[in-house]
Amino acid sequence: MNNKNQLRILAPHSFRDKLSRRAVLKLGGAAAGLAVVAVACGGDDSSGGDSGGEGGGASGGTQAAGDWSRVINPASGTLAMYTWGDYNDPELVGAQAESTLGVSMKVDYYGSNEELITKLASAGGASGFDIVVPTGPYIPQMIEKGLIEKFDKSLLPNMSNVDPLYLGQAWDPSNDYSVCKNWGTTGFFYDKTQITTSPTDWQGYLDSCMGEASGNCSVLDTGPNMVGVWLWANGYSWNTEDSAVLDQAEAFLVDEFAQHIKAFDSYPSTALAEGAYTMSMAWNGDARQAYSRISEAGGTPENWVWALGGPTTELWMDNYCIAAGSPNAEAAHAWINWLLVPEISIQDLTYHGYHSGMKTIDKLVQELVPDLEKADMIFFTDEQVATMETQVINSAIDRHVDIFSKMKAKAGA
Amino acid sequence: MTLAVGAPKRRGWRGPRFGLAIPSMIWYALFFVAPIAFIVIYSFGTKDVNQRVPVDLSSLSTRNYGEVFDETFFRTFRATMRIAITATLLCILIGLPVAYFAAFKVSEKWRAIILALVVVPSFTSFLIRTVAWRIPLAPNGQFSKFLVEIGLLGDRGIQLLQTPTAVQLAIVYNYLGFMILPLFVALDRIDVRMREASKDLGAGRVATFLGVTLPLAGPGIVAGVLLTFIPMCGDYVTATVLGGADGNMIGAMVASQFISAQNWPLGSAMAVLMIGAVLSALVVGALIVWVLPRLARVLTPVLESWRRNAQNRLEAGRGSHAAPSNKKVRDVPRSLMSVWCAIVLVFLFIPIGLVVLHSFNGGASFTIWTGSPSTKWWGELFDGASTWMMLLRFVAIVVAGLLIRRVLLARTAIARRSLNWVGPGSFVLAVVVNGLVTDWYRNIFDFAGVGDAIRNSFIAALGATVIAVVLGGLSGIALARRPGAWTKGFMLVVFLILVTPEVMDAIALAGWFKNVADVPLLGTPFSSGIGPFSSGINKLWVGQSLYASAVVTLIVRARLAGLDESLEEAAADLGATPARAFRQITLPLISSALVAGGLLSFTLCLDNAVISSLISEAGSTTFPVALLGATKSTIKPFWGVGAVILFALTMLALWFVAVVLRRSGSSSSEIAATLAGN
Repeated sequence: MNNKNQLRILAPHSFRDKLSRRAVLKLGGAAAGLAVVAVACGGDDSSGGDSGGEGGGASGGTQAAGDWSRVINPASGTLAMYTWGDYNDPELVGAQAESTLGVSMKVDYYGSNEELITKLASAGGASGFDIVVPTGPYIPQMIEKGLIEKFDKSLLPNMSNVDPLYLGQAWDPSNDYSVCKNWGTTGFFYDKTQITTSPTDWQGYLDSCMGEASGNCSVLDTGPNMVGVWLWANGYSWNTEDSAVLDQAEAFLVDEFAQHIKAFDSYPSTALAEGAYTMSMAWNGDARQAYSRISEAGGTPENWVWALGGPTTELWMDNYCIAAGSPNAEAAHAWINWLLVPEISIQDLTYHGYHSGMKTIDKLVQELVPDLEKADMIFFTDEQVATMETQVINSAIDRHVDIFSKMKAKAGA
Repeated sequence: MTLAVGAPKRRGWRGPRFGLAIPSMIWYALFFVAPIAFIVIYSFGTKDVNQRVPVDLSSLSTRNYGEVFDETFFRTFRATMRIAITATLLCILIGLPVAYFAAFKVSEKWRAIILALVVVPSFTSFLIRTVAWRIPLAPNGQFSKFLVEIGLLGDRGIQLLQTPTAVQLAIVYNYLGFMILPLFVALDRIDVRMREASKDLGAGRVATFLGVTLPLAGPGIVAGVLLTFIPMCGDYVTATVLGGADGNMIGAMVASQFISAQNWPLGSAMAVLMIGAVLSALVVGALIVWVLPRLARVLTPVLESWRRNAQNRLEAGRGSHAAPSNKKVRDVPRSLMSVWCAIVLVFLFIPIGLVVLHSFNGGASFTIWTGSPSTKWWGELFDGASTWMMLLRFVAIVVAGLLIRRVLLARTAIARRSLNWVGPGSFVLAVVVNGLVTDWYRNIFDFAGVGDAIRNSFIAALGATVIAVVLGGLSGIALARRPGAWTKGFMLVVFLILVTPEVMDAIALAGWFKNVADVPLLGTPFSSGIGPFSSGINKLWVGQSLYASAVVTLIVRARLAGLDESLEEAAADLGATPARAFRQITLPLISSALVAGGLLSFTLCLDNAVISSLISEAGSTTFPVALLGATKSTIKPFWGVGAVILFALTMLALWFVAVVLRRSGSSSSEIAATLAGN
């Protein structure tokens, strides 16, 4: 995309000023009380949003900026969120939340959905957290175990701002428990001065890891992602339960592939900049941040290439949910609702670089952050999205985790 | 009770021999044995993620143990043992000269300085120090680039990050202090006259070291090994932060079974086998310790006659007694040792210097230095105006207190001694007033919860330390003074506490609190909290106190085991009640052990990340818990700022403790001295 600026400025400073001016102007009229400004947004017209089409290119979103719902429910008290590392603009969980909503926030971090579930389950509804952010496929399990609470949708009028494409997912068809926070995908990132074969798909990634990048490549620290790479590279579905296929995956990954891995790292951007790897499997937002880390460390970002995994890759979606036994559920709704205000959502997006599922997000971005760097690592074309597959929780997951444990032990040999 | 007065036989008032250990017994039964028993039972179940506790216990089998004996697990296991044993040996090799130097070769003043420099690094967050090692090890880091530039390394720079070598280095670093201290204490307690006698009897320097010093230091080496080897085996953080696929350790593997794979049965089977292995490694170690002196006793006459022959030949050659030359030779090892000591101290401070430096990093990542210093993150964290207000109030109150003391001293007849409390008192008052006037921690650092985390760390660590010192002190006395059939069982539990991987404790306790919370009365602290302390803080107190109280128990027991019981008996003979004898004799005798144990507990609790991260609730997050969360993605430089502040506050608290101790220390030793013989 836009390479004219210095790469280190992925989130331009000018944006903050522009955003807050706009937000003040727009919110000014709405901020008093629970005034619903514009919940009506043309019904649930599914053509209202496009599937994250790239800036200006795709059709769809025709809503004027004024059609957005920007309800602010003032709340009070302290709000505790348990989420993934570095996953919100610190302002939005800090000073800005306090001044706009009146809530002060405490944020704790976990490293995997399982860790979140372990912590909530062992506390048995007394964890004290209000908001949690599980990945979609884990939601049914959490509902069944009673770890998350039903939304009071009357407190979430801004849910109408979410593109219907990202609502009504299989794990929660009527969004009674969850609403999209961000979604993203998985690909890989490599130093083209070290990896000369220009890999473009998962097979290329696997080959390079066993070739030029051997002993210098990292993989995401989650079993389903790792097994997924082999399944995608070999033309199988991520969710296949065929044990013969999974046996093949195990044979390859444990016996042939594991010994080439340098690290299991879900956020490789910092270690990449430190020079620890020449090739990494990465989530798109983290790979995007790697560019600025690399230039901060005095490296040459131009040497690094991002490739979306192919022929198929993942589409993951993290969701805001209310934890069971939430001490301050009303404020939790208010905060989630606030994050669904388009300007706030885009502010968050520019911080971490993940698509936030807003309607007509391309227009929003054009208006609010026209000089957003590396936007092609946030927004994907319809063709790209068509190659993305969502994980289903089925019996295969156990196998994925099991294979991954064996890989870890083998890699440590 | 009154039986004691004048009665020649004092056994009557002692009650059950394990009386003093009863609080610990209840505590351990409730918060260690019972919850861990559940986890051990889980190891016979099967994984079932659809249940809240993801274990199906309907058909019990030993299948999980079979799976653990799989080749892949054993590989990690061997690697862990290799890293831990190597690191323990390295710690002895590196630490012994330093401890020896500090104990015998320097003046009182330098001894204090060296010890302080060994201890101080451990008051910086363990996690941030480990993370800081990434900085010099990074291939693209400044240090690596420098080495490449001066031609010491090839183009690719240092290739250590995410390797077992990095883990090995950081583990030696992290535990070196815990080896040097017990070594020093053991060496320091050796009567100089023993060494002199050995030399007077004609033994050379080496013979004295091997024949006198080393055997006498034996208990110190054993203590050091226990304090380093056991936690190394279960270490989870170092391998996670620095080790790549190759540097995986068993602690991390057990943790990943519990936390990410949700395979509690397998994780629990691994943990049980790991405990067994560490215990058997200790038994082997104990056997070696038992065999060595006996071996030495057999060998000494042989060595001695060989040495005599050699010396006779030498003296025959020289023809006279060459005492003066002895002095000249002695200086060479001394200067060598001082250089070694300096190197080790610098090594201990490398990561701390880097933490301070990188807290002034203007970039977005703590470990990546952007080239020029900036106060950006300090500014983010500190709210200038209220910081100054707080400091102003603080200084004003303390200065006012000291002025009042001065005026009272000058104008009234009140003795200086009885006004000594004014200084520390106004210090406490200043803290209290600042706490009342403002929500100071929130106003000062209102960024990313760092202030809250620091405050919670202190509250949790202080509470857990008090519990640990009380429980450990009492059971330590009981173990040393009233041994009996109960001792073995109790010591087994203490050892199990030390050996159990933290993550297993964490899982066990996290689920256990939920059951305890339902019990009326007993559960209240864990369901709704008590007084100003939330249920989350109470859980942290329990969780952190387990390991710490076991450590205090061992320290107090060791201290009393080396002291004659005659003082207490004399007091009882003279008609002191047990309570009085305890207060005036036993307590002063073990006060140094309590202080040492308390400091060690405080350090351990302040740094506790693994147990705390699983049992803490929203609102009771401590600094290490928050930082452990942050290590899962990019660590921002403000964590460095937070670590520096935490370090500064810890030092301030220690200084305060030191002042108070100096005040009360003299009086307690006076009491002991008075009763001892004068």
